[in-house]
This record gives sequence, structure tokens and C-alpha cells, in this order.
Amino acid sequence: MATQAPRTASTVPALAAEREVRWPHRSKGKLANGLELILVESHTIPKFHGELFFRSGNAAAADRAISLAEMTATMVRTGTSKSSSREIEERLRGLGADLSVSAGQDTSAISFAGLSDQAEPLLQLVNELAREASFPAPEFDRERRQKLEEVKLERTQPGFLAGERLRKVLFDKHPYSLVSPAEEQVAAYSVEQLQSLYRDFYTPENAILLLVGDFEPAKMRDTVEKVFGNWSGEKPILQEFPAPPTPIGRRVYLVHVPGAVQTQILCGCHAITRKHPDWVKIGLTNSLYGGAFNSRLVMNIREDKGYTYSPRSAVNPLRQYGYFSVSAAVRNEVVGASLTEIFYEIDKLRSLAVPENELLDAQNYLTGVFSMGLATQSGLLSQISTLALNELPDDYLETYRQNVRALAPGDVLTAARAYFDSANMQIVVVGDRAQIESQAALFGELKIFDARGALIP
Amino acid sequence: MKPLQIPIEHKTLANGLHIVVTPDSTAPVVTVGVYYKIGFRLEPQGRSGFAHLFEHMMFQGSENAAKMQHIKLINSSGGVLNGSTMYDVTNYYEAVPSNALERVLWLEADRMRALKVDDENLRNQRDVVKEEVRVNVMNQPYGGFPWLDMPPVAFRNWANAHNFYGDFADLDAASLADVQTFFRTYYVPNNAVLLILGDVNPADGFALAEKHFASIPAGPAPRFADPSEPKQSEERRGNVLEKFGTLPAMAIGYVLPQRRTADWCAMALLDQALHGGRAGRMYRELVLEKQLAVEADGGVDDIFGYDGPSQMTTRILHKPEITSDATLVAFDAIIQEVQEKGITDSELEQLKVKWRSDYFATLEGGRGGYMPKYGLMHLLACFTLFDGQPQLVNSILDGFLAVTKEQVQSVARTYLKPANRAIVFRAPAATSKEAA
Repeated sequence: MATQAPRTASTVPALAAEREVRWPHRSKGKLANGLELILVESHTIPKFHGELFFRSGNAAAADRAISLAEMTATMVRTGTSKSSSREIEERLRGLGADLSVSAGQDTSAISFAGLSDQAEPLLQLVNELAREASFPAPEFDRERRQKLEEVKLERTQPGFLAGERLRKVLFDKHPYSLVSPAEEQVAAYSVEQLQSLYRDFYTPENAILLLVGDFEPAKMRDTVEKVFGNWSGEKPILQEFPAPPTPIGRRVYLVHVPGAVQTQILCGCHAITRKHPDWVKIGLTNSLYGGAFNSRLVMNIREDKGYTYSPRSAVNPLRQYGYFSVSAAVRNEVVGASLTEIFYEIDKLRSLAVPENELLDAQNYLTGVFSMGLATQSGLLSQISTLALNELPDDYLETYRQNVRALAPGDVLTAARAYFDSANMQIVVVGDRAQIESQAALFGELKIFDARGALIP
Repeated sequence: MKPLQIPIEHKTLANGLHIVVTPDSTAPVVTVGVYYKIGFRLEPQGRSGFAHLFEHMMFQGSENAAKMQHIKLINSSGGVLNGSTMYDVTNYYEAVPSNALERVLWLEADRMRALKVDDENLRNQRDVVKEEVRVNVMNQPYGGFPWLDMPPVAFRNWANAHNFYGDFADLDAASLADVQTFFRTYYVPNNAVLLILGDVNPADGFALAEKHFASIPAGPAPRFADPSEPKQSEERRGNVLEKFGTLPAMAIGYVLPQRRTADWCAMALLDQALHGGRAGRMYRELVLEKQLAVEADGGVDDIFGYDGPSQMTTRILHKPEITSDATLVAFDAIIQEVQEKGITDSELEQLKVKWRSDYFATLEGGRGGYMPKYGLMHLLACFTLFDGQPQLVNSILDGFLAVTKEQVQSVARTYLKPANRAIVFRAPAATSKEAA
């Protein structure tokens, strides 16, 4: 439309001088009982955020039962030798606190946030949950029934079905292939199993406590010593699992959801872990490919072609192995066209050097977003957690930006060729078979499953 | 407890644009937002979903920043961006390293001054929006429940009762002329507030804002349709089919008291008593004690962020062997108990501590670690556009902390009546014979 308005600057203003990014001091220590401690000041609000991590999760318990660490975590807040479930919840509310207990493949964690002036009572409650969970039988029966409904429900979510199938395909017999229990596996859980996992995993030798927030570190350290000092317990013995084989050749796995009005695409291949020296390279390469709004994949299949709302790629670092994935929920008619573009953009990144200006834009994006973790307690906690759990060098935060900026187009080419394994990408599509089977079959040998994971001939 | 003293500076330009600046140099990051006082509630009739589709169009190009340029410029400055359409406002926001402040203001001013989009952009974003609706609603178990299911059952005024994501036929009917009319009508500086939060010196912030926004001409004051509802005299019920999910669900919504009244503050604490996590009465009774439900949550969504009829809505997924009637009886027993016995002193005390703690968390974040101060921005914007008083951010907490248990009981009796509520039953397709 015509604008009669007088114009102001019609060219993009240049960036001003950058203000220095200064990461706060991390005060690290270890209690006599082996509990590692990292404290970081952040005075944005009169609160603090914390994580008590245990370095064992579902994978470490895979020989006992699937997702057992998760079921154990669910039960931890439902009762201790001192408090009932209801008392625990009311104490939390009275402290103005939020708390959750969860477990993933590699860790179990009690995560919490509360008011700074109530720090000690909250830490006492965390301590009680970490040491004195009592697994009351009626609570267990209830939670197990809840879990049964949850596992039924998740099989109706396209994103869940896609993620589960990809993990199975990539990790085969390794525990990382196990995403969620079947109904009969939930039914088979017992209190004894949970108690024994809790005894083995929830120990100070296996734990790291991270606190970020509005407190004085020396005083907080004293409080932690007072609350957690007399806890004891040893490191669990962790099993080694053989490496999963890399799938060779593109294959297509269709999860059939009758009546689906859209198709969830998820492609993936093995990549690297967070500790790998190429992590920064693959991060930048992913950002160029599909990790940011202005990345090639998003510009292509969303902004140019309108196939999808939220295409994204990611590098998913588990402790032992990492994998690269590309996801998009697309309309049924363009499943084949979307896959073509997904591979076109991967292959382009593997064959042609990235133009310098595009590289610079992506470097600026990664370094800028990285620093935003500084602005909130939860953002900072998440950065510190990544460092601690992956045992990254102390100066990782301080050197990350310069490491990103040091990369050249050749590094991106190398990383794409090494880790965006186009020829061996596994393709999962979740949708209505009648609508998408012929399109999906163009991309490799096709197998079809139902939502429960059974092969459909 | 220290009273809140967030530094807030507020100016209004000659063209009517409000500017609010709150400095905080903790991190070298600045958050910028532009809020327009138009949401999906008052979008044009026959054009359901248009306010949201239009929000997408605001990223499709403006006079000096072609399609893709806007997103590229923010990302390549090290920042993130998004927009969202709500009942009564639409926002556009960015968090960037503070050296990119002027660039962000230039971009926001450019699209406030002159949107430059074509039919191709509109077709593209219509396709994108349809996939958004499919991924969030049509292809998800319990998609849109209850936020899209409840309005047509609960309300009679089209403004409050229509499909906010849009019927596909209406999205298809939207034309470039509609886009231009909507832009000229509502996207004028005198219907907006610009917010700058974080690493900025207020004088510099105002100077840069004036430099880029002052020359944008004011438009005629937008005329808004009346969103008020005719008086409700009986409970309303409706049914929706659940295509994928395995559990029967229901949602019960009660219309809220007038915003910024004593009743509204008391209702907010009552909401916390009912829906405040696992300690809340709904979860405690329905999931933990009586064990009828698998999920019981909900409450008032974004209590500060609406300016028209709104509800406190409980969302329940219950076990298949429990009938919806039995679930509703258990729900009603919870309501009746709080009406008859009120809440205890210690419960009220806990609720207030939690309310204060949650308020701080809202101010700091609200959209994850990578959109710092989103919550503070949102509150400042709503208090400016609805109340003309951004400073309310520092004082609004007082009203909630002054609520008595008698007030809580009184609002339970006054507002939690069948004649003030609507119920949506969403039964799985496989077992849909049941339900009222």
C-alpha cells in the first residue's frame, strides 16, 4: 500500500559496539560424602533454582525393567518416612516452591525453584526426598495405574510415535532404543524394584547439586553442608552396553495412524556426543541447516513452499551416543516433496561450501543466543547443567563464542559430510498409510508398523 | 519482604504510541516488544482466524525489509523472535544482544509504518497456518481442548464464541484487501505500545524509539465491537468428539469477575486453591484421593492478559470406567465444599506465598530461558493498553496479598454457580455413546 508517511532511515542500522559478555563465577566444591556442588549467583529475582542430579537413569536400569528410573522418580514425591504425599505438596506450596522429580536415559533429577528467604527448608525437603522416600503401597498402585493410562495416551501422539520408532531404528539393542514401556511392562513394575533402584542410584557419590540464584555462595555452601552433610552412599556400578550398529542405507518406517490429517516426518542418523571435539562444528552446521528460524530448511519448506508450520533439525546428545534428526509435520499430499527438500538441503550442505556471509550470520546467531542464558536463573542453570553433566572444561562458557567464531566454511563442509549422513538416514513417517505409503516408498525399503509397534505385513 | 521497585519509564509520542522502558543491566541482552490492541476476539465476522493469520503476515515483508529479511536480520544479530495472537492483544517480540537494539527498533517501526505483502505471501502463510492448526489441533489427541471447544458452548456473542484459530473456509476467503484493511484499522501507533526491557539506558531507549517511530502517522482511533455477553441464566453444555485420545475428558468453565476488582483478586486465589498443582483441591481430590481422574488441571489462563469475558476452566481427563456424570458429581462436591467451608488460614497463607513466588517467576521469564523478561513485558503491555498504567506491575501484587478467606468463600458462592458455567464433554470416538 502507498505510504505518505515521511521516511526515516531506510537502510538497516549497523550493530553498535558489543557489550562484553561476562559469565558469573562458578563456585565448585565437593562434600566429604562425595556430593559435588556448584553454586552460581544470579540476582535477577529473589528466588533460586536448583537441580539435584544423579548420574544414572533409565539406560542404567535397562537390565531391570524399561523406564524404571522414570517410574521411581514419579514415586519419590509421593511419601517419605516423615511425610505423606499431601504433606509434601502443602509444604512445597507454603514455601512458594515448584519441584519435579524426573528421569531420562542418563540421569535422574530432583528439580526445584523457590524463594531465596525459604532456601533452607526447601533444601531440607529435597534432602528428605533424596534419602527417605518410602514408596507407600497405595501410592504405588495409583501411580502405576496413572502410568498405564499415560502409556496408552502417548501412543495417540504423532510426535511420540515418530521419536520412539527412530530410537528403535538407530539404537537397536542398546538401552537408548527403549523409550517407553508397554502396558504389560507397566503392570509388571513392583515396589521392590523401585526401592532397589532408589537405593542404588540416589546416593551422594552419584550426585551433583547445582544451585543458581539470589544467594550468597559462602552462606549457601554452609547450608548445603548442614542439610546434606551426613548423607552417605556409594556410586552404583554401571553396566557397559555394546555399541549399536550404524544402519546402512536409507530405510523408511511408516507408523500407520488411520485417519491422520497430517504426516509427522522424522529422519535421523548417528552423530556425536556433547563431549566430542566436533560438537561446536556440528552445532553451527545444524544451525545453518534447520536449527534456526532463518535456516535453509525452514526457509525452504515453510517460508517458500508452505508445506509445514514447524520444521526443525537438532543434534540430540545422549551421554554415550548422539544423533542428528530432522522433523516436520507436513500435509499428507507433500510427504514425498518434503523429503526431497530435506535431502536436497542436506546434500547441498555436504557438497558446496557455505557462503561467508551466511556463515557469519549463523555464527552471530549461535553466539548471541548462547549469551541469553545469562539473563535468567533458569537459563543459567540449564547452561551450568550441560557443563556439569558432560564434564566440559571449566572455561567452556567463556571460550564458546570464540570457538564458534573461529570456524570456516571448510569446517561446516567437513561436519556435514561426517555427521549428516544422507545416504544412511533413517526415515520415519507417522500418518495414514492410504495417504502416504506410495510417496514414502520412493525413499527406501519400507516397513509399516501400527501404533503399538507391531509390524504390519 | 521488599516491595517491588522495578524501574519503569513511560512516555507517549505525539502519534499516540506508548513507550515503556525498564532498564536492567544484568546481562547484555535487550528484549523488545510491540503490542497492538487487537486480538482474535474482535477480528472481523466471517473472517475467523484472521487476527492470527495476520500476525503471520507481519513477518512477510515491510517497506524496507523484504520477506525473510526480518527474520534473517534478527537471527543474524544473535537474537530470537516470535509473535503471538491472544484474545485482546497481538504481540511481536525479540530478544537480542543489546548492541542490536536500534536494528530491532528500525524493523518494528518499518512494519508498523508500512506492511508490504502480496498474494503469494498470503497463500504461503495460509498454508503454513493450516499446518499449524493440524499439528496443534486436528491431528493431536485433545487438540484445542478446551480453549477452542469451550467458547462456542459458553458464550453467545460471536466475539467470544467463534473459532479463534479459524475455519479453513474463512482462512481461504481472506484476501489481500482484508490484510490491508486490518492493518490500516488496528496497526496504528495510537493503538500500540513499544516496550524495551533490559540492557538499555532509558534516555537512549526513548531517543532511538522517537527516531524511528515518531514520524509514523497516527490513524483514526479504532472502533471496537462490544464484546459483552448477554446475561446467562442457566448452565450450558456441549459435546465434542475426541478422534484419537483414549480417555473421556470434560472441561468446566466459570465466567470470571470484572478485571481489577476485589472479587477478581479473591477469585485468583480461589483459582490457586483449586488448580495450584498437586496441592490444589482438584488434583488432590480427583486424581490423588478419589482416583477418578488421570489429569485434573487448568484454571485462569493469563489472568492479567485479557480485556473481555473470560473463564476459570477446569480440565479433566478421567478413567474410562468412571462415567462423566460421576466425575461431575465429584467435581461439584469440591466446589460445594469450598462454598460451605471456605478455606483455612494456613491454606490462604500458603496460597499467598506461592502467588508471590509465581509472580516473580513470571516477571523474569515466562517463555523459557531464551526469552528473558517476556512475562514482565507482557504485564507492562497489558497494563498500558488496558489500564494506561504500566506502573501497576509494582503494585498489583498488593491486592492479591490483601485477600481474606471470607472473600475467597464469598466469590466461590457468587461465581461458582451452575448459571455461571459451561461444560464441554469430549468423549473418545470409540466410546462416544456416553456423555450428556
